[in-house]
Amino acid sequence: MKSMSRLAIPYIIWGALMIFLPMLLIVIYSITKEGNGILSIAFTFEHYKKFFTDPDFLVILFRSLVIAVKTTILCLIIGYPIGYYISRSKPSIQNTLVLLVTVPMWINMLVRTYAWIGILSDGGLAQQSLKLLGFDPSTLLYTEGAVILGMVYNFLPFMVLQINSALAKMDNSLLEASADLGADNKMTFMKVTLPLSVPGILSGISLVFLPCVSSFFIPKMLGGGKYMMIGNVIENQFINVGEWAFGSTIAVIIALVMMISMYAVRNLEKRQSY
Amino acid sequence: MDKNLLISFRNIVKEFDGNVVLKGINLDIYENEFVTLLGPSGCGKTTLLRILGGFLDASEGSVIFNGEDISELPPYKREVNTVFQKYALFPHMNVYDNIAFGLNIKKMSKDVIEQKVMKMLKLIGLEEFEKKDIKTLSGGQQQRVAIARALVNEPKVLLLDEPLGALDLKLRQEMQYELKKIQKEVGITFIYVTHDQEEALTMSDKIVVMNKGSIYQIGTPEEIYNEPQNKYVASFIGESNIVTGKMVEDYLVEFDEIAFECVDHGFGTNEIVDVIIRPEDIDIVDVEDGKMTGIVDNVFFKGMHYDVTVQTVEGTSVTVNMNVIAEHAVTSDDGKEKISANDFYLDIDDMEELDDKEIIARADAQAWEIEADEYISIHKIEYDLQPVIGKYNVTFSTASGTSITRTIHVVDQKYIVNRKADEAVSAFDFYKTVEEVQEAVAIDTDLKTWAGAQGWRLSDEEESIDIYVNYDFDMDNIELGQYKITFTTEGREFKINTTDYVEEGKEIGLTFYPEDIHVMRRMIG
Amino acid sequence: MNLDKKRRPIGKTIFILTMIFFYLPIFYVVVFSFNSSKSLTSFTGFSMQWYQKMLQANGMMTSLWVTIFVAIIATLISTFIGTITAIGLSQSRKSIRMIVKQMNDFPILNPEIVTAISMMILFVTFSINKGMFTLVLAHIAFCIPYVVLSIMPKLSSLDSNLAEAALDLGATPWQAMRKVIVPQIAPGIFAGALIAFTMSFDDFVISYFATGGGIKNLSIMVYTMSKRINPSINAISTIVILVIAVGLILVNVVPVLGRKLEKKNGEYAGINKKIKYSAIAFATAFVVFIGSFSFISLGGGEGKYKGQTLHIYNWGEYMGEDVIPTFEKYTGAKVIMDNFDSNEQMYIKIVNGEKYDVLVPSDYMIERLIKENRIQKLDKSKITAFDNILDSVKNLPYDPNNDYSVPYFWGNVGIVYDKTKVDVKDLEREGFNIFRDDKYKGETYLYDSERDSFMMALKALGYSMNTSNQKELDEAYKWLLDSVNKTHAEIVTDEIIDNMAQGRKALGIVYSGDAVYIMQENENMGFYVPESGTNVWSDAMVIPKDADNKELAYEFMNFVSDYESAMSNSSFVGYTSSNKEVFDELSSKDGMFAEIGAYIPRENHPNDEVFNYNEKTKKIMSELWSKVKLSASRNSKK
Repeated sequence: MKSMSRLAIPYIIWGALMIFLPMLLIVIYSITKEGNGILSIAFTFEHYKKFFTDPDFLVILFRSLVIAVKTTILCLIIGYPIGYYISRSKPSIQNTLVLLVTVPMWINMLVRTYAWIGILSDGGLAQQSLKLLGFDPSTLLYTEGAVILGMVYNFLPFMVLQINSALAKMDNSLLEASADLGADNKMTFMKVTLPLSVPGILSGISLVFLPCVSSFFIPKMLGGGKYMMIGNVIENQFINVGEWAFGSTIAVIIALVMMISMYAVRNLEKRQSY
Repeated sequence: MDKNLLISFRNIVKEFDGNVVLKGINLDIYENEFVTLLGPSGCGKTTLLRILGGFLDASEGSVIFNGEDISELPPYKREVNTVFQKYALFPHMNVYDNIAFGLNIKKMSKDVIEQKVMKMLKLIGLEEFEKKDIKTLSGGQQQRVAIARALVNEPKVLLLDEPLGALDLKLRQEMQYELKKIQKEVGITFIYVTHDQEEALTMSDKIVVMNKGSIYQIGTPEEIYNEPQNKYVASFIGESNIVTGKMVEDYLVEFDEIAFECVDHGFGTNEIVDVIIRPEDIDIVDVEDGKMTGIVDNVFFKGMHYDVTVQTVEGTSVTVNMNVIAEHAVTSDDGKEKISANDFYLDIDDMEELDDKEIIARADAQAWEIEADEYISIHKIEYDLQPVIGKYNVTFSTASGTSITRTIHVVDQKYIVNRKADEAVSAFDFYKTVEEVQEAVAIDTDLKTWAGAQGWRLSDEEESIDIYVNYDFDMDNIELGQYKITFTTEGREFKINTTDYVEEGKEIGLTFYPEDIHVMRRMIG
Repeated sequence: MNLDKKRRPIGKTIFILTMIFFYLPIFYVVVFSFNSSKSLTSFTGFSMQWYQKMLQANGMMTSLWVTIFVAIIATLISTFIGTITAIGLSQSRKSIRMIVKQMNDFPILNPEIVTAISMMILFVTFSINKGMFTLVLAHIAFCIPYVVLSIMPKLSSLDSNLAEAALDLGATPWQAMRKVIVPQIAPGIFAGALIAFTMSFDDFVISYFATGGGIKNLSIMVYTMSKRINPSINAISTIVILVIAVGLILVNVVPVLGRKLEKKNGEYAGINKKIKYSAIAFATAFVVFIGSFSFISLGGGEGKYKGQTLHIYNWGEYMGEDVIPTFEKYTGAKVIMDNFDSNEQMYIKIVNGEKYDVLVPSDYMIERLIKENRIQKLDKSKITAFDNILDSVKNLPYDPNNDYSVPYFWGNVGIVYDKTKVDVKDLEREGFNIFRDDKYKGETYLYDSERDSFMMALKALGYSMNTSNQKELDEAYKWLLDSVNKTHAEIVTDEIIDNMAQGRKALGIVYSGDAVYIMQENENMGFYVPESGTNVWSDAMVIPKDADNKELAYEFMNFVSDYESAMSNSSFVGYTSSNKEVFDELSSKDGMFAEIGAYIPRENHPNDEVFNYNEKTKKIMSELWSKVKLSASRNSKK
């Protein structure tokens, strides 16, 4: 049925126009002189120079990475036990549990983040609860903590689902074999379950870390004007400052960083797959 | 030799979601034994094994190991190791690490571990394989690694859950010998689970035959084979001829209206029993010399021997009339629809279960649109049946009113009974049109259906018996009129294994020794 | 397996805690959608007002329809293309498969914002008008990869014998595909469609950059509305949550019901599926139908301008609620209003080809637009508005004869302060320098605008806020760093308004109009304008050169400058009106804003200045301000 391979052609054409071409345009913009949206033909690398020589941008990039790392670690710490719990539950309720975890994702991301603004505001639910527990709460909103909270909230389901799916694929008889050979629960986990869940962990990490680095909405909403992450810088360049060429430069840099890391993680995953 | 008692199952009951999978198992297992739990899928053998391994808790009862009750112990604290059906090798470790797993847990020193693992590799014939990725191993090799991994821990008992199931025949047979050899060499108890009776016979010191959560018999392979305690065990192991008979008195059993000397005793006078004779124990002789006589039905060449089936008692037969009638469909007034149906016979006993659908089927009532040549449904049936022998009208009509009326003959069905063969047959006369006969796809089956032919065992009405059809007409050139159709049962057939060739259709004699007959008590339920 | 009994309680606890974490905001949203006050933190009582407001609010329900509409169309198209692509790929050469797989991965791997701006650049470069079409196109672009990704694994695990069996039995390749392959991969198709729908429904970043012409989806709507606290967002969110909940119930309950029916009567076996499919089909048709309906104008009735549309680009929350509906009724035209946060944002959109009929920029921006020849000279014969306008806002330096602009709102910039926490004497003594007084550490807000912040610094230092002197600008930069370091200022935009209204901090820089609102909400608040001078600003309406509907634009400008509309605007927004009558009335003794000094900006103060437009200085300020913000974030505790 070779004729069916023709079916893929529409998408190839589409891809050339809607995927490849726009990216090419961005790259072109990044190496042209600033022209506020008008495609001029003078080529230059000044924008790249600007980005890498200005310490402030590098600081922002670094901070974005740090926040992303913190978010990812938190997602891993919280997400792994949950994924594990679900995979060990009765098959009949597993679907329900997965659904419970997934449903919040369907509710608009902005709406969910917006809700956190209310909860974290001064005088809001979070502060009042903390007061009840005896803590002295200073401002919660517009802090790095708030940003990380918002990100974890947004990305945790991805981590949970990846881990759950990897663990669910694991053959139960391996756990029995381990116990049979003398390993107690803790040892079975360390020596069998954990190593075998590594593909899931890697996949979860890539689903959390990379989007996290480039997010701009959550830092803006929950971090206020101060917590600029690299995504905010790009948005700023395009919407407020109007320096499209420079904005494109940053975009290209981020895209490269992300893609390289993605490929690295994917390769790790492939080598680990069982 | 007085062996030491190692394991005791005491009244193990296991229930899953309302199903009782083990109904109170009591079993003793000794040191250095090769014990096989044998039975079909679902009999509970794997469940019992897993309870011993610690992966399942029994609902009731206890497991005693070396004098101690281990029912509450988790698997990693039991001195048993398991070889899993699908091997369960750790994919993220190589061969060496897999085998060394248990030893690493016990925190043995590296040198000791190396020694033991190497010894094990030699035992299973996989030296040089230490670093290999287990995914690159063949099924047989993986199997051996799984065995090594378990054995290296020197358990008192090795549990094997259908370990050879995934291997091909030749390999399986090789591994059977290997396992037996290893067991003898290492000198520990093997508890082996399988559904393959040949495997069980080959390897075991003791076989435990199980079915539906209970133990049916425990014994050595010879005992199980030669002296099965009941029909189930008998038919499960080896090929057999099993006949229902009557114990006239000790050492004398009767079936097929012939009395035979046998070596069994202890039954009640005239008690109904199951009798088994192994195919290889029956010899073919001249007619005069045989304890029974019969006609050779089929001969199959099996390589090692011929499988011969001999009919010793003729089957029961009943003859009925097939009435071939003319096409008699009714056409509607407007010429658009046609409807047809046949008379049929109905046994008075079957009237209770009769419903509209069945009537349509029996009468073979159909309606169709002439032009489109499409079937339309029968919209209405009218009839007035009484549970009294006689003739009754039934009318079939379509939604637009096209209808046809036929007769239902309510009769007391005739049976033919054959006490000697312990069976009976019955059938009805029936009506069919020429077209219906010609269009029959599988005429034998159709004749049976049309006549409602059945055969069953007198002593056990639930047991149905196959029926064969005999007729003498040419399907393609059939004409109106009446034809005789005869339905016959098989009668009594014996399976014989012999290395001598005989011709099909020849009359021969069968003989065997009294000790070849084995009488068993009838099973309840 | 009994191995896990110990782990259960721990896992369960974490799970339950996490579920609470997950569902808390959702619960919060639902509860507060019924709040009787505007507060997002304290629940004062039960009320349905936000649902009413939501239904009335211009564009809120429309945005929900846009979201659903786009999601459905994008899902349908991307599922179709994704499916045929996946099938086509499975039959293609390995090399082609690899290339396409890489291409397919691209949108998924790429950071969303990069994809978003790449789309925007694409549309702008090829002069494709941004609107519904580009929005849908962009959505399809990022949905297809997920569909393909969903189906490929199912295809590769497909038993090739199946298709062969179909061919053997007489099916053509296409029949084989339809009758054998597609049903087998149906779970993958369904999963892919579901993911596509979810991604589209939830999307913000890509939509934000790819849409135009007033077409907003729900996310964009929430984003623009979240500048000021608006509990209607909670209302619409609750509706969304409700719909999802109902959808889930249907999906889970209908099959069960179907099975029960099946048991009762075997004939109903096929009905379960039929019900499902027809329900989905019906629902889809319904939504699409209703959706397309809502675009065939709501608003616009009878009137001279029936059937025409007016595109306005204005600040957010800058109009009275009834002004536009009244205008629409009056003229019969439909009004589409977009909102911007800053002059720069507006400028960029204009420059990139977004078409509007009326803009409401600020003084310096109007100056720039005039210089760059982007707005038209007004035909004064068509304008009645000037008769009503205050003299003090006419003929200002940025547009000396009001050749181009009709004044809208005006005011100045000042310090809003908590009277209970701040000593007025400190204000009088320090002026803007109070923002460097560490006595008020942790109690200050700065406005996230380089213009206003630099103005503050320069004025405090005694310089002109329009200076281009590098040295002076540097000093101002240092001043700002100092302020941020000493007082750990929070740098916010419009959040400052509600925060000060709630009395969260002691000091903030605000526009006079916002101060009016704050002081209305909180009587502890006062407004102070330093003697060292401040910025006096004026926002005015202009008509871009490429406006489609000039006549309507003139109508609008006149309408808005009339007493009624001006009154509605000014009293709702709190900003000082340019309309003479309205201004007098509202600032008079019995007027609404009588007690509030902020409503009446001081006039003719020697140190007060209007902004001039200077491109170079603007760039420098912009860069320096970013550095200030960075410094601020380093300082603050977490």
